[in-house]
Amino acid sequence: MSLAPSEGPVSPVAITGSSALTPLGDSPAALQAALLARRSAVEPLADLGGAAGASIANFEATRYANVRGLRLYNQPTRLAICAAKLALADSGVEAAGLRKEEVGVILASTFGHMETLVEYDRSLVTVGPQRTNPALMPLAIPSAPGAAIALSFAAKAFSVTLADGGASSFDALGLGAALVRGGRARACIVVGAFSAFRDLALAAARAGLLAPASEYRVFDRRRSGMALCEAAAAVVLERPEDARARGASPKGLLGGQASAFATGPERLAPSLRRACERALGAAGLSADALDLVSAGASGSRRGDAAEAQALAELLGESAGRIPVTAPKANLGDSLDAAGLLQAVAALSAMESGRAPPIIGLEEVEVPGPRYLVEEASLAARHALLTSVSHDGTCSALVLSRPHG
Amino acid sequence: MRRQVVITGCGVVTAAGSELGPFWDNLMAGACFIGPVRAFSCPGLDPLTGTEVELPEPDAAEENAQGGRCAQLTLAAARRALAHAGLRSGSPELEEAGVVVGTTLGEERQVGDLDDRWPASGADAIDAGFLARSDNHRLATLVAARHGFGGPTVVSATACSSGNAAIAWGYELVSSGAADLMLVAGADALTRSIYTGFQRMGALSKGICHPFDRRLDGVSFGEGAGALVLEEAGRARRRGAPLHAELAGYGLSNDAHHITAPDPNGEGTVAAIRQALATSGTSLEEVDYVSAHGTGTPYNDVAETRAMKAVFGERARQVPISSIKSMLGHTNGAASAIEAVACTLALRHQAVPPTANLTEPHPECDLDYVPLRGRPLRVRTCLNLSAGFGGFNVCVVLKRAP
Repeated sequence: MSLAPSEGPVSPVAITGSSALTPLGDSPAALQAALLARRSAVEPLADLGGAAGASIANFEATRYANVRGLRLYNQPTRLAICAAKLALADSGVEAAGLRKEEVGVILASTFGHMETLVEYDRSLVTVGPQRTNPALMPLAIPSAPGAAIALSFAAKAFSVTLADGGASSFDALGLGAALVRGGRARACIVVGAFSAFRDLALAAARAGLLAPASEYRVFDRRRSGMALCEAAAAVVLERPEDARARGASPKGLLGGQASAFATGPERLAPSLRRACERALGAAGLSADALDLVSAGASGSRRGDAAEAQALAELLGESAGRIPVTAPKANLGDSLDAAGLLQAVAALSAMESGRAPPIIGLEEVEVPGPRYLVEEASLAARHALLTSVSHDGTCSALVLSRPHG
Repeated sequence: MRRQVVITGCGVVTAAGSELGPFWDNLMAGACFIGPVRAFSCPGLDPLTGTEVELPEPDAAEENAQGGRCAQLTLAAARRALAHAGLRSGSPELEEAGVVVGTTLGEERQVGDLDDRWPASGADAIDAGFLARSDNHRLATLVAARHGFGGPTVVSATACSSGNAAIAWGYELVSSGAADLMLVAGADALTRSIYTGFQRMGALSKGICHPFDRRLDGVSFGEGAGALVLEEAGRARRRGAPLHAELAGYGLSNDAHHITAPDPNGEGTVAAIRQALATSGTSLEEVDYVSAHGTGTPYNDVAETRAMKAVFGERARQVPISSIKSMLGHTNGAASAIEAVACTLALRHQAVPPTANLTEPHPECDLDYVPLRGRPLRVRTCLNLSAGFGGFNVCVVLKRAP
């Protein structure tokens, strides 16, 4: 998805609430503090030969949300419901008395249904169709986690599930902004969640995607793969005038978003650059107006190099000035939630004026961008968020501090 | 503000045909393709009833290597839609163009294959390619990689309204100016979760489905895919593309009522229709035909009939509404994309397809469902209705080509 028109800037959409549930903290503020403290969540995954991963210790969904059906839902669905609940509470939308028909949900989810699908389908084989748990089937399809969230909060405007590889979160934000701008909802919860159940972690390890935990690092010449991170994040989108009308002050403005597909590995950097240019165009900004970059660098050999190259070319002479952060250095890759976590972290960095460092980066491979190896203070108005995923999707998003 | 969006190409792969000519002729004749399923089985439920697609030999050979059954169907429909739009693979028009694919079940059969090996092999059954094969995002990226699309590649899941939702996102991108051309599609293969799930819920027909008929007793499933090429009207004209119909807008709603059951009064459907009419600037009087969701379950067909009456009032009985699921079975996420192609053909041929197997209407279904045979009709505007398991409603508005 993209809200970048070819003809010029579009009106921005306000972010009025946010949340983060991560191994490094269960709020945007806690996550920001952990990133500034250079904490890492990445550790060797049990039973996976030391492959890198990160999970939330002792996650109890009922601590955050008490909704019907929670017991039946799988881990990513629970995480998504909790993140949505926290973002809604943060936004004040719940208290503002919006009608159910005015609230929509967009879930970024490629894998959110899979654990339930595997559980249900495997039981067809192992115990037979008449002895399976019939309540699982409706939860075993890709749209099910989104249906569960809409049901949990009686969101009647729409409920949509989008999958676009590592760009799922950015595309969900882009579509959410378009639907809010078009008046299809007064408030839209955009949420992403990821949790790797055992088969999925095994599949990622056997696909050769995961780094050994001891070697995990991003942008570094010695990087050797990614780490899977259990996490969820959510934001609430509204038109700025609607937020103002109910007395809410936006945390940030979503100005532009665009995604592109690289038809071959050599197209990754140009595709990301094109996505960045379109997202900046929609926000009415040029690259030298940027104050911060949040890169999606995940330790991928190809992806990190392409992202760095695209940033070096896009930022040109400004590259030496604009700090680049990369929160996956601390967290690992939470796939469906990754872009939303980048957004939440970037908003915290802009609000606090402190950009966290990229931990573990010792030997830069692609020179040019100003990779932050130490925390930097900043007076940021505009941030560019980027992502390159292993299946060729390149995506960019522009966030700004609210005016005034 | 909004740019005009036109449909310049359509492709289907269905049991009723995988070329537009035979597909339309079969629909108009009211030919039902629901019967015994041969190429797929499901433990405890065999023999299955439904519809299957026979891909022509070149399709099968070329596309087997690339993906699972759902990807195969998606690729086959996408290729047909591009050819119909007069677009070659790798042409410059596609460099900035994107792909949106809607699916209910995606590559679920990859999980099924894994689980079949599970009792003997356990976790050893998970091979290096499993993650990529079971990743539904591949439905879009395989199309993009094959034909050279360089824009966004998105898979959208809203259960059985996924095809319409894909069309809606394509409309959003083209009408806003974010893209000039989008390929949008819906695709689904037969899977055992959908058969066993519906059977356990008592929503699977014991014979063949009978939408709106007294004998309606549940859904018949089918496999298939539908794809459409959406373009900004001015650009389509400049490249000399055929303009088959206008895509005028869409409406969305969510029941938020129950994880499986729809709202009994079709309130979500009413909201989606009203939003679609309002945002596309369409008056009720302009609507000449409605393509029903019409699954053949009492839940759906009665609620949909109530929704029609709530929207159209006295005029409800004068607006023909039919369900081609009576012939193709319910192809899940593909259904509303295939139905959008049928609406496009209805606008072009000035005729509407029927509801097959409808000889005696259900007591609570008293509209003009175009029983048994298609009929000529002046068609200016069609509404394409869809509703999904979980409460997802999407209504798309199609009009005669400008």
